[in-house]
Amino acid sequence: MIVATTLRKQFVVRGKPLVAVDGISFQVKEGEVYGLLGPNGAGKTTTLRMVMGLLEPDEGYVEIGGLRTDQHASLIRKQLGLISTNDGVYPWLSVREMLMYFADLYAVDVSVAKERLEELSGLLGIRDFLDQRCSTLSTGQKQRVTLARGLMHDPPVMLLDEPTRGLDVVGSQTVFEFIEFLKKRGKSVLLSTHRLDEAERVCDRFGLLHHGTVRYEGTLADLRTLTGKEHLVDMFIGLIQSDSLNANGSDKIGAA
Amino acid sequence: MQEYFSNGRLGRLCLKELRESLRDRRTIITLFLMPILVYPLLSMAMQRLIVGSVRGISENKEYLIGVSDEETAQVLNNSIRETQRAINAGARPSIDIVRSQSPKGEPSNSGSDQREPQSQERDDLQALFRLAMPEKSSVSESLEQGVIDLAVLSAKERSLRSRDGESFSVFEFDLQFREGDLRSEAAMLEFRKAMQLVNDYQSALLRGPKLPVAVQLKAASIGRRFDPTASLAGVLPLVLILMTITGAVYPAIDLTAGERERGTMEAMIATPAPRFVLLLSKYAAVVTVAVLTALANLFASWITLSIGGLGRALLGEQGFSIWALLQILPLLVIFAAFFSAILLAMCSFARSFKEAQAYLIPVMLVSMAPALVTLMPNIEFSTWLGVVPLVNILLLSRDIMTGSPSPLPAFAAVFSTLIYAAAALVVASRLFGAESATAGSQETWSDLIQRPRKARVIPDLGELAIYLAILFPIFFIVTNLTGQWITDIVPRMWCNAAVLIMMFLVMPAVFAWYRRLSFRNTFLLSFGATSCSKQGRFGILNQLAWLTAAVLLGVGLWVIAFELFKILSDLGFGALSLERSDSLEQLKQQIRAIPFWMFFLTSALVPAVAEEFFFRGFVLSAFRDRLSTVWAILLSSLIFGIFHVISGSVLSIERFFPTLLLGSALGLLAVRTGRLWPGIFTHAIHNGLMFWLTRFDEKELEVWFGQGNQHFPWFWIVASVAVVGTGIGLLWLSSSDRLHENVS
Repeated sequence: MIVATTLRKQFVVRGKPLVAVDGISFQVKEGEVYGLLGPNGAGKTTTLRMVMGLLEPDEGYVEIGGLRTDQHASLIRKQLGLISTNDGVYPWLSVREMLMYFADLYAVDVSVAKERLEELSGLLGIRDFLDQRCSTLSTGQKQRVTLARGLMHDPPVMLLDEPTRGLDVVGSQTVFEFIEFLKKRGKSVLLSTHRLDEAERVCDRFGLLHHGTVRYEGTLADLRTLTGKEHLVDMFIGLIQSDSLNANGSDKIGAA
Repeated sequence: MQEYFSNGRLGRLCLKELRESLRDRRTIITLFLMPILVYPLLSMAMQRLIVGSVRGISENKEYLIGVSDEETAQVLNNSIRETQRAINAGARPSIDIVRSQSPKGEPSNSGSDQREPQSQERDDLQALFRLAMPEKSSVSESLEQGVIDLAVLSAKERSLRSRDGESFSVFEFDLQFREGDLRSEAAMLEFRKAMQLVNDYQSALLRGPKLPVAVQLKAASIGRRFDPTASLAGVLPLVLILMTITGAVYPAIDLTAGERERGTMEAMIATPAPRFVLLLSKYAAVVTVAVLTALANLFASWITLSIGGLGRALLGEQGFSIWALLQILPLLVIFAAFFSAILLAMCSFARSFKEAQAYLIPVMLVSMAPALVTLMPNIEFSTWLGVVPLVNILLLSRDIMTGSPSPLPAFAAVFSTLIYAAAALVVASRLFGAESATAGSQETWSDLIQRPRKARVIPDLGELAIYLAILFPIFFIVTNLTGQWITDIVPRMWCNAAVLIMMFLVMPAVFAWYRRLSFRNTFLLSFGATSCSKQGRFGILNQLAWLTAAVLLGVGLWVIAFELFKILSDLGFGALSLERSDSLEQLKQQIRAIPFWMFFLTSALVPAVAEEFFFRGFVLSAFRDRLSTVWAILLSSLIFGIFHVISGSVLSIERFFPTLLLGSALGLLAVRTGRLWPGIFTHAIHNGLMFWLTRFDEKELEVWFGQGNQHFPWFWIVASVAVVGTGIGLLWLSSSDRLHENVS
């Protein structure tokens, strides 16, 4: 469903060029959860933004459902749902008003949107506060509203950008259940996170990003054979250590 | 795009923005609480100011009249004595003289109709005018310095004798007073009234016709003092506009930078909704809140002014009338439309609430600087100020309140503000969300200034708005200046032609080149039988049909346009300028002296080519394929009509509808043929015939119109309608050529 081919993006930071993404390629099939993993600054968000069509890649391209993002921007956006850490709610709108607003932004028919709202409010447990102003909601409630917002147009592809950052155990659990639900519905999910333990639980395949490139890619079993390590966390530490060894021969703790 | 304009979706998007704004406490405060507080406070302050200045006059109602020498003083004394004689003889003095102070300085209780005894009036009158002879300076200088209230430059007295043998004097004065100074003006007025009294009395003695007042008045333009009440009529529009801005500021920030701060911006930008649609809904909400604020303020100020009687003190007898209120309201709406777009453009830049506020404060201060200019007393709403944003609306509101708006700058103010609003909205829509989304198909604001990398087919609506926002003020000022400076007909015609070529031919061409627009598509420059479509369909026969249709339209339309023009003139639409009726005959004589070739070149051929190039080329192309054909033709004709309302330094409202009609026909021609040349034929024939008619004087025209008739006979009109109908029919039968059907 998602095909990213040799994406490259360079920014200019304080007059110096900075390559954020350097030739990343990956594929996400229908009903598959792909984890785009890496430490902060590995290029996860930049990659995600290129997939969304919010950033134009310097090289390479992204195809969603066979359509290139740079050529069918408007069509592709209807196929995509986006949920990110920074997502806020409209304090002065009720939950219902906000969700119906996003349905309109995605040009969903009112009758269809109403049905979907009904379904999602049961699914995500937001029915009790549908007509409450968003400013009165708790963090957990707001998060569920945001999840519902991402599904109001029932997109076949869902992009999740650090969806559990700042959430407690219960909140994170809701997100995992949400991802399970998306998978069951046959959606392609691209999950970007630095919480490797969580990723292990929900992702089918992984792409381990470091310094803007994909270092390892495959299922957990693939990665285990490839690296000889049991957990993603260990694989990553190994990756980073080898990096810093290559760079300056040091083996100090925290050299990376 | 289309799906956002159907099923009431845009309305719902606007509703969301409006809900967000109106549910916010801070909006409500500026919307309702501020007007309730501001106007009573303001009126209290003003009342003190006015009462203070009025009391300054009435408490010390003794006017110092400066005379230069003893002789003048003598004449003046005689005149005052003569006035006294008139009063004693039973002449009814005006209430002001009677109501003046008693010498002791206590306020008299004569506010009622109660008449005071004659003996006291003698004291009053002598106390009212006191003579002074400045020693060190001339009377004019003393007047300037404010030492005296009125200067008598010269005074003459002549003795006459009535039929009854009674002798009396007539006086002639040369006076000077400070214009705009309440005290000096009052002194002048009182003195005039006294002299009028003398004259009336003497006329009665003579049993003859009333004598004119023998007072020569000369207003001193120098030494004008700042007069608080004169500028107060300017304060109210400024306050209203400031409050409207205040109302718009908060929602503008909240709906743009606030969206970022809440973290809803990215989710919104990630949707397929075009940014222009998102911005449009926000714009609608901001304008609505601004208009609501304007309404609340207008209403509060109206109530305050009406209740306190302050309105009459500030704005003259009629006070702040409902009629003025109804005229100012749409002005505030237009202003709100303009300023909201500016605010959105500024706020779209900002990443946070604080940043937005930091941007807005300088903008508001800068925009207030020219606004303060409007507070200066006696600043005139001149023609060129009509295109200066903000200042134009302020001055127009002030003139409406004092009851004397002039039509040409008023028109320029309204139209230019609307164009500026459109241009600002375009810039805002490019700026909005530019930080979050910089990919592919979405444009950024720098695209508006930079030369595009890729060649394009036709201009977009943004380019049109920006081009018009640049063109209109220049066009307006240039046509005005040439209209005022060049009075001779021949250089004026050449000059007009040059302006047309520059504005509508050269500048759009340079603009189109810079923006890499396709000339062939933008300006419909296809000739001959070949086009992007199949060869055969546009053969010679079809071209001939187009040519015939163009000629028929040109021959038929001018009669209808002329009649429309005449009817509108008869209805009084043409009476907006006195200048024209005076010089019309003179103009006709001058026109007759011009050789026909020159006449045809400057009034028919050049306008036809230049105006078709711009209005049917550039303007219509920007609308085509984005709007339905009917709307595209109508809107381009509307702009065509509005530009024609300004002719020289005169506002010709009566030209609007005939031009709109012509523009629609030409638009139809351009759309059907996909070419510019048929329209040029029609336009040139139309203009040529129309101006040809002006070469005849009324007697010669009677041959056509019939005795004493200013209109075409009915069979002419019927025939013209038939000719136009045939032309349109022919156009319909011929193959149409759409140059650019699939332009996104």
